[in-house]
Amino acid sequence: MKKIIALFAIVFLTGAVFGIEIGKPAPDFSGTDINGKTIRLSDYKGKIVVLESYNSDCPFCKNHYQTSAAQELQKTMADKGVVWLMVNSVGPKNPSHRTPAEAQTEWTNLKIAATAWIDDTTGTIGHLYDMKTTPHMFVIAADGTLAYDGAMDNNPKPFGDPRKAKNYVSAAVDELLAGKAVTISATKPYGCSVHYAN
Amino acid sequence: MRLLLAIIIFLSAIAGNTARAAHTEADLILPALAYPGDTVLVGVRLKMAPGWHTYWKNPGAAGQATEIKWQLPPGVTASEIQWPLPQKLPPADITTYGYENEVVLLVSLKLQKNVKDSPLHLAAKVSWLECNESCIPASAEIQGDLNLGAASGNAINAANENLLALWLAKVPTANTVASAQAWWEKPANGDTRILDLQWLGDAAGADFFPAADDNFEIQGATEKISAPDGMIRLRKLVKKFSGEWPKEIKGVFLTASTASETKVSVGDTPTTAAAAAIAPPQKIEPLWRMLIYAFIGGLILNIMPCVLPVIALKILGFVNESKSSPRHVRTLGLVYALGVLFSFLVLAAIVIGVKAAGHKAGWGMQFGNPVFLVCLVTLVMLVAMNLFGIFEVTLAGGAMNVASGLSTKSGMIGAFFNGVLATALATPCTAPFLSIALGFAFAKSAAVIVLIFGTVAAGLASPYVLLSWNPAWLKFLPKPGAWMEKFKMAMAFPMLLTVVWLFNLAAESYGDRVLWLGVFLVTMAMALWIYGEFVQRGRSKKVLATIVVLALLAAGYGYALEGQLRWREPLKPMKTNGLAHDIDGIAWQAWSPEALMQARATGRPVLVDFTADWCLTCQVNKRTSIEVQSVRDKIKSLNVITLLADYTHFPDVITSELNHFNRAGVPLVLVYPQNPAANAIVLPEVLTPNVVLNALDRAVN
Repeated sequence: MKKIIALFAIVFLTGAVFGIEIGKPAPDFSGTDINGKTIRLSDYKGKIVVLESYNSDCPFCKNHYQTSAAQELQKTMADKGVVWLMVNSVGPKNPSHRTPAEAQTEWTNLKIAATAWIDDTTGTIGHLYDMKTTPHMFVIAADGTLAYDGAMDNNPKPFGDPRKAKNYVSAAVDELLAGKAVTISATKPYGCSVHYAN
Repeated sequence: MRLLLAIIIFLSAIAGNTARAAHTEADLILPALAYPGDTVLVGVRLKMAPGWHTYWKNPGAAGQATEIKWQLPPGVTASEIQWPLPQKLPPADITTYGYENEVVLLVSLKLQKNVKDSPLHLAAKVSWLECNESCIPASAEIQGDLNLGAASGNAINAANENLLALWLAKVPTANTVASAQAWWEKPANGDTRILDLQWLGDAAGADFFPAADDNFEIQGATEKISAPDGMIRLRKLVKKFSGEWPKEIKGVFLTASTASETKVSVGDTPTTAAAAAIAPPQKIEPLWRMLIYAFIGGLILNIMPCVLPVIALKILGFVNESKSSPRHVRTLGLVYALGVLFSFLVLAAIVIGVKAAGHKAGWGMQFGNPVFLVCLVTLVMLVAMNLFGIFEVTLAGGAMNVASGLSTKSGMIGAFFNGVLATALATPCTAPFLSIALGFAFAKSAAVIVLIFGTVAAGLASPYVLLSWNPAWLKFLPKPGAWMEKFKMAMAFPMLLTVVWLFNLAAESYGDRVLWLGVFLVTMAMALWIYGEFVQRGRSKKVLATIVVLALLAAGYGYALEGQLRWREPLKPMKTNGLAHDIDGIAWQAWSPEALMQARATGRPVLVDFTADWCLTCQVNKRTSIEVQSVRDKIKSLNVITLLADYTHFPDVITSELNHFNRAGVPLVLVYPQNPAANAIVLPEVLTPNVVLNALDRAVN
């Protein structure tokens, strides 16, 4: 147990101290999804991976899911062979925390179409990627390098139809699929702060 | 004057002003008096329930600024919101700027001269994001009637006037901060870069709240760094999202008593005035005190671990001297002092030269140079072999060994050499007091550097000069005799130990090739032995022996040093950061200014160890007071982030950081308190576990 904590501490510190950088390899992580399945970033090497820091109680996230814009985007991405990993780093004491069972219900109710929802209660992955807000989006290219880090779109508001906004994630993914360089590779993420346990 | 004007306008606050959302109430605050053609100040008050907050115009890393959409009658136009100074809201790594409890956002309404309809019906939709542990977007319709002329409502609105005045006073002034400067501390590191800000004022309570920008974010964490007298200097981390690095930044320059919002252009270096102020100490220390520190520091150097092997030589020298005439002993003492002084002046000249060439200079920097290390290890090996007696040093035509040379009539060169050796070996150590004096000197003019270095030399040499001046004290030492040969040999071992230490330092610069340095040293030792045995003490075949010696030396140098070790082409300094991976040890992270800021932003205490492989004081500190169980436990229990700054290869970025703390070299151990705004606690040069433990405790209180 001590070693695991130490490991977590190291992973956390590495993230906090070195940060992550566009064009550099995205740090690998391992987590458990809400169905108990182990998810490793390295398992998806060769595929484009979208990371989303998620908390549906946050009005900015909520707007993406209640308008179904996020679910549609997830389906489009899945059709293109893109992996979409939701990361929920809300600490257990926060009212927005979800147990795996609650998360499964939410998954069904909202008709979420992502590849997996990773239960990151410890904040390990969130801190590793320095996730600041919900939503905070990352696109990792098929070669494992970080291609995009920032906001979901150019509508930093908890209202409005996300379909009408310019979506940076789908733009980045489309450019990667077309073998082009990503035009907008970093934006300022917007939303609620991630309610980490620590 | 206005009272004499034709129209007198009064307004009344009506009951319908207040609208309530989940945790925040909004209402419209109207002034007591307004005039057509004038600009009046109105307020939108937000009252938050305990624990909830709303956001400033730059919400920071998360959140959203409050918005006001006015529905105004014709002839009335609203200004932008004038935002009272917000609070910085935790957590530190996702700093946001906002308001708790209550805020009045101020708006100036411009009334045209032809506005006549009274009352003016003012309405607005206010939208905000309210957050505590979760966030809720909310909005409210607020409205109010601004009366033209009547005398009613005065009493109620007097309170409103006070409220508006109170909050207006909290809006940062738009004054230019004439003294404000901003510059990039160094080139960008990927998409982050360190920005230094400086302006005039009291550092207590100083901070900078940036304006929002889509292309970059000036992050919330602030580090105060040492600044010239009366100045504030802050370090901020900037993250770039797109475009070029900003040429200009805008934000609120904050001190305990003032807040001014202004733009300032960002230079690549501080302007002359600021540049001149980069290194001066925070307190103006008088030179005489620095000279005393330098002298005491030099004195203490004598007992620092680096100089100990040389002490052995000196003891021997004194024993030998005791049989000489007092006058000669004095002369030798002075010559030794001269050797020390000469070496220190050479060091001072190097420092001045390096500085003049525009580079950073530091104490002990020559130990970062592998070529110097190879020369020094060869020299110390020679001394050790000489002490073993396998060869003798021929000086001025007479055969004598170094040790006896110290005492004989022609031992001047030996004494001088001893002084040089003492200095060369002393530099990896900084003694207490010395670091303060050197830190002072390195930032000053050439004259001061020479003066301080000379004083250190005087301090280092003084015990021996004193002893040689009072030969009576030498009587405590045993009489010269046969034991001296044995003592001499015994003293060769600390020298060999020094060889091993230097060899180990060189290993890092040559990798596996360092083996050939060892081969060279052994070849040289063998050549010395043949020289001593068959040339110096031999009777026949001296020529042959000499040829063998020369052949061995040539082979050793040509093949081992040049061919295999390639001693003049050391490996590129590896990006080792000296991080220990001992599983029980402290989990060190590499230090960099960015890493420090990010570590501080987490709101945890931070311990920084500036160290170098060649710095013996640092290594001793580490063994006795840092990597010890009590400190390790404390670091774990207080959740301290530990950063290691490795000065072995003398990187400029660490030199400038040491300069910030008015130091010329390592060791430097810092403890940064939990509160990201608090200054670092600077630990003394020589540590005990209790010193470290106390500092860590202070860091969390």
